[in-house]
Amino acid sequence: MGKRKFWNRVLMHVLLVPFLLFAIFPFFHMTLTSLKSDRELYDRKAVPLLIQQGPTLEHYSKLLWETAFITWTKNSLIVTFIATAVSLVVATIAAYALARLKFFAVGSFGTGIFVTYLVPTSLLFLPLAQVVNWLGLADSKWALVVTYPTFLVPFCTWLLMGYFRTVPKEVEECAMVDGATRIQALWRIVLPIAIPGLVCAALFAFTLSWNEFIYALTFTSSSDQITASVGVTSELIRGDIYFWGQLMAGAVLASVPIVILYVFFLDYYVSGLTAGAVK
Amino acid sequence: MSTMSRRRFVATSTAGLAGILAPRIPPAVGQQREISYLCWNNFAPLMDKKLAEIGTRFTKDTGIKLKIDHIAHAQQPAKYAAEVQTQSGHDLVEMRMHFPWLYEPQLVDVSDLVAQLEKQYGAAISSAKETAHVRGVWRAVPQYHGMFVATYREDLFKKASLKIPDTWEDLYVAGKELKKMGHPVGIPISQNYDTISTAGPILWSFGGLEVDKDGKTVRINSPATEQMLEWYKKMFKDAMDPEVLSWTDASNNESIQQGKSGWIHNPVSAYLIAKQKKLPTADLINHHRTPGGPAGRHDTDVPRHIGIWKFSKNVEPAKEFIKYILGKREVYDEYIMSADAFNLPTYDKLKEHPVLKTDPKYAALSGEGVQYHAYGWPAPPSDKVQLITNSFILPNMVAKAVTGTPTKESVAWAEREMKKILAG
Amino acid sequence: MAISTFPVTAHARLPWRARVREMLDRERILGPLFTSPAMILIVLLVAYPFCMALYFSLSNAFIGRPSHFVGLRNFINLWDSDAFQQTFQNAFVFTGFAIAFKIVLGISLALLLNQQLWFKRMIRGMVLLPWVIPTALSVLGWQWMFNSSYSVVNWTGIALGIMDPPGPNWLGQKYYAMTAVVAVNVWRGLPFFAITILAGLVSIPKELYEAAEADGAGPWARFWYVTLPLLKGVLAIVVLFSTIFTFSDFNIVYQLTHGGPINSTHLFATLSRQIGLESGRLGEGAAISLYLFPVLMFVVYAQLKYVRKQAY
Repeated sequence: MGKRKFWNRVLMHVLLVPFLLFAIFPFFHMTLTSLKSDRELYDRKAVPLLIQQGPTLEHYSKLLWETAFITWTKNSLIVTFIATAVSLVVATIAAYALARLKFFAVGSFGTGIFVTYLVPTSLLFLPLAQVVNWLGLADSKWALVVTYPTFLVPFCTWLLMGYFRTVPKEVEECAMVDGATRIQALWRIVLPIAIPGLVCAALFAFTLSWNEFIYALTFTSSSDQITASVGVTSELIRGDIYFWGQLMAGAVLASVPIVILYVFFLDYYVSGLTAGAVK
Repeated sequence: MSTMSRRRFVATSTAGLAGILAPRIPPAVGQQREISYLCWNNFAPLMDKKLAEIGTRFTKDTGIKLKIDHIAHAQQPAKYAAEVQTQSGHDLVEMRMHFPWLYEPQLVDVSDLVAQLEKQYGAAISSAKETAHVRGVWRAVPQYHGMFVATYREDLFKKASLKIPDTWEDLYVAGKELKKMGHPVGIPISQNYDTISTAGPILWSFGGLEVDKDGKTVRINSPATEQMLEWYKKMFKDAMDPEVLSWTDASNNESIQQGKSGWIHNPVSAYLIAKQKKLPTADLINHHRTPGGPAGRHDTDVPRHIGIWKFSKNVEPAKEFIKYILGKREVYDEYIMSADAFNLPTYDKLKEHPVLKTDPKYAALSGEGVQYHAYGWPAPPSDKVQLITNSFILPNMVAKAVTGTPTKESVAWAEREMKKILAG
Repeated sequence: MAISTFPVTAHARLPWRARVREMLDRERILGPLFTSPAMILIVLLVAYPFCMALYFSLSNAFIGRPSHFVGLRNFINLWDSDAFQQTFQNAFVFTGFAIAFKIVLGISLALLLNQQLWFKRMIRGMVLLPWVIPTALSVLGWQWMFNSSYSVVNWTGIALGIMDPPGPNWLGQKYYAMTAVVAVNVWRGLPFFAITILAGLVSIPKELYEAAEADGAGPWARFWYVTLPLLKGVLAIVVLFSTIFTFSDFNIVYQLTHGGPINSTHLFATLSRQIGLESGRLGEGAAISLYLFPVLMFVVYAQLKYVRKQAY
C-alpha cells in the first residue's frame, strides 16, 4: 500500500512537470537573456538555452546606474503600497456594509460595484486624465494612488463580501449583546477572523497595481514620477532598437518584490480565496 | 488594539490624504521662469545627453529653468492626446513627421522663428515644409531629420561580384543571389512603420501614389501599384524569407547586425548600433543611396520638429529656447554632431554637414538625386490621409498580395478601404 | 469620512457622542456611511469619465478640436470597416479559445496541486510566477521568445525534431499569430484559474469522496459526480472575471503583434487605440471601446444570474 502511494505521488509530480515548465520557462529565459553579453545575444549560431560566452552583469549594472531604475522602482513601491492600503480600507467597510447591513438600495449598490469592473481602462483613461488634472495631480505619482483604487476596490469588495458572509452572525451578535458597538464588533471580532481574506485581497490588489501600465503611462511622464514598467519600456525601447539585455534585466528585477511577497503570504492567499471566492 | 495606535493611524492617514488633495501651490511668478520640454527618446541616445547638457547651459545663460522629459516614440500619441485634452502639461513638444497637422489648432504659430532660421541656414527641406507648414502657417520648427537609406553587406556583394543596385529591379537580381548565399534581403511586410517607409518609395518610383494632391481622390488603383505588387511578390518568393511578415521596426536592424540579412532599407541606426556594441558585422556594413525606378528615385524621410502648445503660459521663454538650440550655429552643430549622422539638419545650406565626413560610410547619406517625402505624399497630410497611414493599408495590401491574394484583388481592397476613410 | 468615526465612538463620553454612537449602530445610517467612500470613488473616477467617453462616442471628437454631436454615426460607420469586422471576430475567437484552455488546464493543474506534494510551497510559488511578473515586461520576454530570428521556441522545436527549420513564423502568419497571443494569455491567466479552483477543491468536504468511494465510484466518477458539480460556483466566478479581463486585453496584442498580420489579431482595445489616439479620432476610438460593453454586460448578466443561483 505504502509503495503504491509513493509511486502515485511520483506520478503526480511527473504530471506537474509540463505545467511548471510552461510557467517557469519564460522567466528562466528572460533571466538567461539578461545575463548574456550583447555579442552572444546577437549571435545567430549561439544556443539560446545556454550561456556560452560567459555570463555578465553588464546589463544589470547599466540598468541600475545609467538609468533611473531605482527611482522608478521606489515610485512603483510607493504607489502600490498606498493604493493597496487605501483600497483595502474602502473595500473592507463597503464589503461589511453590503454583506451585513440592511439599508436603502443595498442591492443596487452591490450591482453597481460589479458593473464598474466592466468598464475597460482603455476607454476611461482620456477622460480620467481630465479628472486627474482637476485634482492638480497631473504628472505626479499621486495621480496613480488616486486612480488605482477604481479597479482595486470592486474586486476587493467582492472578495471580502464573500468572506464576511462566512463569519457567523451569532459571533457578532454576542459581542453586541455584551455592549460592544457595531464598529467595535467589526474591529475586534469580524476583522481578526477575516485576516486570511484581507491578506488575499491585499495581495491581489498589490499585484494588480504593480502590473498596471496604461494609467501609469498616461498620467505620469517625468523620470522621477514614472513606475518601473513604464520606465523600463520607454527608456529601453528606442524605436527600432530594443536593448534586450537590459529590458530582460528590468523585467527580472521588477518581479522580485512581488515574488518575495507571495512566498511569504502564499498560504494565506490560498486559504483566503478558499473562504472568500468559494463561499 | 489600543486606541492610541488607532489614533495615530487616523492622524497619519488624514495627513497623507491632505497631502494628496492639497492644491498645488503655483510657483512664485516673476524672477524664476521655468519651461518644460517633452522630448522623444532619441534613437541616438547620445543626442539626449547632449540635449541635457545644452539645457543646463541655456539655464545658466538665460536664467530660464528648463525641465526635459523623455517619452518613447510609441507612447507619444497617447501622451499628447492627454495633454491636449487636459490643456496642461509641457510647454515644448517634439513633433515627428505629421504631428503638426494632427495637433494644428493646439500649436502656437512659430513662423517668425522659422523665417529667422531660413535666413541663416537656407530654406527648410521639402519634407520638413510638407509636414510642419500647415495651411500657410508654420506650426512647429524643423529641427533635424533621419532619412531612409540602403544598408548592405559590402563583403557579400564583393564576394559574389554583385552590382550595387541602382533600381529596385537591380535589387531583385542581387537579392536572388544573396538569398542563395543564405543572406536574404530584409524588407518588412507587417503592421509597422518601417514597412510603410519602404513600400512608399517603391510605389512612388513606379509612378504610383495613394491619394492625389487634392487630398480627396484615391489613386491607388493604377498599373503602377500592380507593378509594385508584382515586384514585391517576386522579391518575397526569390529574395526574402517569410519571417519579414512578423517583423517589428527593430527586426531588420537586428537581422543585418547578426549577419543574416544581406540588404535592408532603414535609417543608419543599424550601422550605428553595430558600431556601438562592437558587433563583428559593423565592419562589413556599408550604405548606398536608395534604388530608383521608372518614375525617379524617392525615399522616406522622418523630419522632426519642435512645437509649442497654445495652452502654455510660457510661450516667450519657450521660443527663446528654440532660438538658443537651433539659432546659434555652433550649438546647433554641436547638437547634430552628437547624433553621429542619425539625425541631420533640416535646412538647405547645411545639407553637406561636417558630420557626414566623420565616417566614410556616411557618404551615401547626402542622398544625391533622391527626392525625400513623408508618408502619404503627394497628398497633404490631413487627418484622413494620416488615418490611411495609421491603418496600415499599404502594408496590408502588400501582405495580402505576397501571401496569395491576387494582385488586382489586393489593390481593389486597398482602394475600398481608402475610399471609406476619405468618405467617413 | 468613515475613517474619522473610529475615535469618536471609541471615546463616547459626552452625550452628543453617545448620540453619534447610537446612530452609528443603526444599519440604515451605518450602511450608507460605510459604502460612501467607495461610492464617491466610483462616481468621480469611473462614472464621470465613463459618461465623457459615452459623449465622445456620440460625437465627431478629434483631439484638440471642437466636437459636434453626430448620434450613432460612429457606431454604424464602423461596420463598414474591414478592420473592425475582423476585430469583432478576433475578440470572440481570442476570448473563447483562451478561456477554454484556461478552464481545462486550470482544473487539471488545480487537481494536481491538491495532491500530497513534496515541495508544495515551492511548486505553488512557481505556478503563480506568470501572474506576478508585470505584464508589460513579461510580454516583452515572450516577444523575444517569438523573435523571428532568435526564437527559442523554434530552436527547441527544431532541436527536438518537432519542427522543420526554420519553424513557424509565430507573429507573422495569421493563425500562428493568434495562437501565440492566446498562448501568452493562457500563460498569464492560468495561475489565477488554478489557484482559485484549488481553493474550491480544498473546500469540498472529504466525507463526500469517502462516501462516493464506499459506493464504488472510481476516480473518474468521483470527479464527474462530486468534484465538478461542487466546483461549478467557483468556476462560474473565475470564468466571469477572466472573460472580462481577456475580452478587454490590451498589452499582449499591442506588444506582440500590434494587431497584425493584416489585422488578424486586433482586439477592441488595440484597434481603439490605433484609431482613437494614433490618428486622433477620439469619437471613433471611444465607439470601438464601447462595443465591448454590451457584450460584457451580457456575459455578466448571464453569469450573475447563474452565480447567484449557485452560491446564494
